[in-house]
Amino acid sequence: MAAPRLLLGFLVVLACFSETCFAAISFSSLRRTLVVTASHPQRLLKAGEDKIIVTWGLNQTFPAGTDSAYKTIKVQLCYAPISQVDRAWRKTVDNLSKDKTCQFKIVKGPYTTTNQTSEWTIERDVPTATYFVRAYALDAKDNEVAYGQNTDAKKTTNLFEIQAITGRHVSLDIASVCFSAFSIVALMGFFLAEKRKGSKAQQ
Amino acid sequence: MADIEGSPGSSMHGVTGREPVLAFSVASPITPTDTTAKFALPVDSEHKATVFKLFSFANPHMRTFHLSWISFFTCFISTFAAAPVVPIIRDNLNLTKQDIGNAGVASVSGSIFSRLAMGAVCDLLGPRYGCAFLIMLSSPTVFCMSFVSTAGGYIAVRFMIGFSLATFVSCQYWMSTMFNSKIIGLVNGTAAGWGNMGGGATQLLMPLVYDIIRQAGATPFTAWRIAFFIPGSFHIIMGILVLTLGQDLPDGNLSTLQKKGDVAKDKFSKVLWYAVTNYRTWIFVLLYGYSMGVELSTDNVVAEYFYDRFNLKLRTAGTIAATFGMANLLARPFGGYASDVAARYFGMRGRLWVLWILQTLGGVFCIWLGRANSLPTAILSMILFSIGAQAACGATFGIIPFISRRSLGIISGLTGAGGNFGSGLTQLLFFSTTRFSTAEGLTWMGVMIVAYTLPVTLVHFPQWGSMFLPPSKDLVKGTEDHYYSSEWNEEEKQKGLHQGSLKFAENSRSERGRKIASAPTPPNSTPVHA
Repeated sequence: MAAPRLLLGFLVVLACFSETCFAAISFSSLRRTLVVTASHPQRLLKAGEDKIIVTWGLNQTFPAGTDSAYKTIKVQLCYAPISQVDRAWRKTVDNLSKDKTCQFKIVKGPYTTTNQTSEWTIERDVPTATYFVRAYALDAKDNEVAYGQNTDAKKTTNLFEIQAITGRHVSLDIASVCFSAFSIVALMGFFLAEKRKGSKAQQ
Repeated sequence: MADIEGSPGSSMHGVTGREPVLAFSVASPITPTDTTAKFALPVDSEHKATVFKLFSFANPHMRTFHLSWISFFTCFISTFAAAPVVPIIRDNLNLTKQDIGNAGVASVSGSIFSRLAMGAVCDLLGPRYGCAFLIMLSSPTVFCMSFVSTAGGYIAVRFMIGFSLATFVSCQYWMSTMFNSKIIGLVNGTAAGWGNMGGGATQLLMPLVYDIIRQAGATPFTAWRIAFFIPGSFHIIMGILVLTLGQDLPDGNLSTLQKKGDVAKDKFSKVLWYAVTNYRTWIFVLLYGYSMGVELSTDNVVAEYFYDRFNLKLRTAGTIAATFGMANLLARPFGGYASDVAARYFGMRGRLWVLWILQTLGGVFCIWLGRANSLPTAILSMILFSIGAQAACGATFGIIPFISRRSLGIISGLTGAGGNFGSGLTQLLFFSTTRFSTAEGLTWMGVMIVAYTLPVTLVHFPQWGSMFLPPSKDLVKGTEDHYYSSEWNEEEKQKGLHQGSLKFAENSRSERGRKIASAPTPPNSTPVHA
């Protein structure tokens, strides 16, 4: 059978393709030099309505010059471990280009040495889950060089829950019922009309 | 003749292996053409078309063909409509991997039962109303997606939408009332393959509609709900077209059929018995789960797989996923053609080898798809996998008509159910659990395909042999006549009920391949024209 040899050939080709051609940045190589806090109402937050106020800045215990490479700050909303269970599309991996922990951008802007604040209204495409906030410092080439987050290293403290919008609307529900009713009524109408025509023809 | 002429599965097309597969104008000299009937196509004495003109919409035959396959196509679109937008739905409804997998299983399970009921509905109401009833009563289930807000609701709605796949039965039944048995195999095969393409078309359609609605201003979690109005509307449109443009029979509608009570029907219990006690039936029920079944499973998971693994946009992932289902246009007929070509040289043994090769290659490429780490290799392996699996579906139905003459309808139905069951099983085992990533699931599914295709080596016909064994040299038991007439008992043979089977046996001698001339004539063979 040609199949095993063919398979071997394919595996060889596959091996050539599987090497990535650039050095991947790993999360474990980043230093936690930023301090990030997030303040919000102390209850279940609603997407589209509630606001989160995020502050970030360099941790002053680090020597001056630590932030010489920082050019941009990217603040993101990230999934807490409990919301990653059974959901491989939110998985945390060390290779930052493959990491899916932080999928929502809160704000992105130039880095300044003073602390900065931003007020963010939770967008309507944010799903129901538990979150924390993380900020990445990027260098001139847009590569991550440092980070900070409002929770601890194990991501257990200061987490907050967001409730998504349902996506349902009354107008949609009504349209749905109308279309369905039309379908059933049209079917019954045709059926009865043809039955009546049939019995009339037989008379 | 005890069997109904033209009843589903009574096709003789392709039986001799010498008829051209793509016989778009099989003007069979054996079938007398009724020249008094005024139809666009030549018809036989029952006014069934003897010619298949693909690009015609002539009433009633070709119009029925197009109404029928498009209805089936529409139901495939709505059954798999959720698959390409799962990345949005899973965030809206907070689904876990198990929920997504269970919904996929649910979407293919409902039709196992609805297909069985549909046969009875077609008998009672006719195929036109069978089709229209199903397609219009399942449109509310599609619209129900706008109400769904929990995982349970999502699974329930996908289950209900899945019932609509029973249009397969009404499609095949309706074809058999309109087309002569000499071409019904080709007609039904084309209709089935083109209907299956809906599983691919939906992966293109739904992300496109979703994007348009998003650009019109809707939020993601509302846009996907609105998108479902498109397949739902297709149901209503097709239902109305079927009711207004369709007719049950070439001469009119069902009421006239009910006057034709004089055709003797075979006993259902006997037909069922001979289907169930033939071990080859069960091997093919198993096998079809690993060609059609894995095709349906892949329709459900491949778009989400490409979206997550390669970080593609929803529409890009959908376009790639669509090529999987759309390959049905050519791949499935190719499988049937390859089977016929092999039969010409090697007879039934050739058909069995072709099926094994195609289905096993499908499995190998599925393994490769799971292990592909780059986008180009993944796409290539997916396309090769689709060709293997879909051609295997076509090749399966190149063999099924020979398993039994008497019980062909039930065996076809059981095989079809096996396909859906295989789909539910593979989704449950590999794509509903966090034990495997989707990539690993695909790899293991490929391994399972290769393993569960091996039983085809056990299929042995005494008159033709099997993959590894030659035909029996016994002068009585090693004949086609003996095989096919063994489905009738002495009493039935006395009444001459088995004449159709004998005629079939005679024609099936071509399944010996090129050794036809050297086949010994059995000592007590009944004359061909009794």
